[in-house]
Amino acid sequence: MAVETGSQRPPGETANEGPAASRTLASGAWTLLKRFLTLREGSVIVITVLTIVYFSATVDNFATSANFKTLLPYFAPVAILAAGEVYLMINGEIDLSIGAVYLFAPFIFYKINNGGVPLIAALILALMCCMAVGLINGVFTAVVGINSFIATLGMLLSLEGLTLIISHAQPVDTPGTNVVGGLTTFARTFGGGTYSELIWALVVVAVLQVVLTLTRWGVYTVAVGGNRLGAAEAGIKVRLVIIRNFMLCSTCAALVGVLEAVRTSSVQPDPAGANEVLFDGISAAVIGGTLLAGGSGTVVGALIGALFLGVLRDGLIIKGVNADYLSFYLGLAIIIAMAANTYVGRVRKGSGVG
Amino acid sequence: MAESGINGEHVVAPTAASDDVLRVEHISKRFGPVTALRDINMHLRKGEVLGLLGDNGAGKSTLIKTICGFQKADSGQMFLHGQPYEPHSVDHARKLGIDTVYQDLALVDELSVFHNMFLRREKVKKPLPFLSNRAMRSEAREALDDIGVRIPRLNVPVARLSGGQRQAIAVARTVHSEASILLLDEPLAAMGAKEGALILDLIQRLKEEGRVSMIMVLHNYVHVLTACDRVNLIQDGVIALDKPTSETSVEELTEIVVEEYRRARQAARAAGG
Repeated sequence: MAVETGSQRPPGETANEGPAASRTLASGAWTLLKRFLTLREGSVIVITVLTIVYFSATVDNFATSANFKTLLPYFAPVAILAAGEVYLMINGEIDLSIGAVYLFAPFIFYKINNGGVPLIAALILALMCCMAVGLINGVFTAVVGINSFIATLGMLLSLEGLTLIISHAQPVDTPGTNVVGGLTTFARTFGGGTYSELIWALVVVAVLQVVLTLTRWGVYTVAVGGNRLGAAEAGIKVRLVIIRNFMLCSTCAALVGVLEAVRTSSVQPDPAGANEVLFDGISAAVIGGTLLAGGSGTVVGALIGALFLGVLRDGLIIKGVNADYLSFYLGLAIIIAMAANTYVGRVRKGSGVG
Repeated sequence: MAESGINGEHVVAPTAASDDVLRVEHISKRFGPVTALRDINMHLRKGEVLGLLGDNGAGKSTLIKTICGFQKADSGQMFLHGQPYEPHSVDHARKLGIDTVYQDLALVDELSVFHNMFLRREKVKKPLPFLSNRAMRSEAREALDDIGVRIPRLNVPVARLSGGQRQAIAVARTVHSEASILLLDEPLAAMGAKEGALILDLIQRLKEEGRVSMIMVLHNYVHVLTACDRVNLIQDGVIALDKPTSETSVEELTEIVVEEYRRARQAARAAGG
């Protein structure tokens, strides 16, 4: 940007043009910046980039490829969970049972496989069982009319309990991973490979974002969340839309559960860990710019929200922050990110930028 | 035409004409303890514009929502082109050629103008069912230009638009559909005089084309007398008056409503002791 100082400015009329030109340039840049910031994902991108820059500058071994690999499992599974949750949150609903499904899926996968079903078929059956969990959530919410917060809280508790019952609270080896002499193709594909989870996350996010913006499913999801009565009056089958999204959300959580079980090659009956997964998933969706109130949201934003959470956790750990402070900082970061999102949302409404 | 009912109130009995497209007989609808419709008898002739008047809570919107398939009647029957008509959904009614402008407009604030225009009627590509946004946008533009409503950008969320513009979108969406019977629940409610005139012009134009028949809920007696062929007055869940607009006047309509208030006041006084 050419900002002229007073002494260099030639005399005459150009003296007025100089600052005027730089002013339009500046205002152009400001408009551009405002446009970017008022993008739904804009603020979370800025916050994430700033966080990465901060850790790269202050922590020696943050910006290394080794650390990038460490970061992946912090971030990729959360992105998939959040992607499914975004759909429900756009609907104006919430699914608290994703952590429980995440816990339940690998055990049911183990049981089915133990019953003699081949790995891939067992995986598909396990995902279908979890889809059925979503169906139950959806029916209780959309048909019976229980608030989704309560319905899925009940599902969270009962499914975690059920997992403890069928597993006898004992960890097991993940099927398909306990092979001596390297990873099988199955394990490499479903979470065992270094970039497997990242690829799954990118594919799931890409597909779900396209479905959200470019298909009827997406439009109806927004319509049901934005104006439920109006959507019904227009002839949209509101219940079907909600049930479908609950099933999608549960399936995402189940996929993550199996991926993580394969990655760590053991299935842990750990409800506390599952609840943390739940919080991460919802936080990522919310930080990414999806409103709890419904009507708007973005899957790509949720991916970046997950990245932000992963970077923050990873960076704080490398920095050597005491584990007790970790949750504290994470919580603060979430609130600040949310405040930024809300502010930007208000600006967006006022500025007329779509 | 009007028969005397109990307590001296007027109840229109089922009437029919040879060119009826829609007939409604003895329709009733309750919501818990509230009786919204008691005994509705109404008919709509081909190419006709039927004005529906009535106080708040008289049952106008309930009747519209029953005809358009949004909710089921408790009893009574309807006939569409002479055939028994029992819509089990809005989609079903729409397939049979009935489309509606709702009082609340049924617009989604977060969706763009053209997505709203095509809500539940989206155009999709083949073989993958992606939305053809471009086709929808240009068709929406045509439909709005046809009415004469100015909405500069069609990809902004409808939340940004004025009440009149939103209403115009809701009307354009229904008029632009393939429907042969249009139900319009207060299509002029949020409009200024200029936009209202555009919609009245549009209705006049549709009437001259003779392709569609319309039931229009209106509040303004002058609008009824200028835009409609016939007027039905709904009072307390029944049709209390059915007359061609040429045979009635603002004075008569007003007198009937004043009469209703007088009766209601007497009833309240009697109940109060």
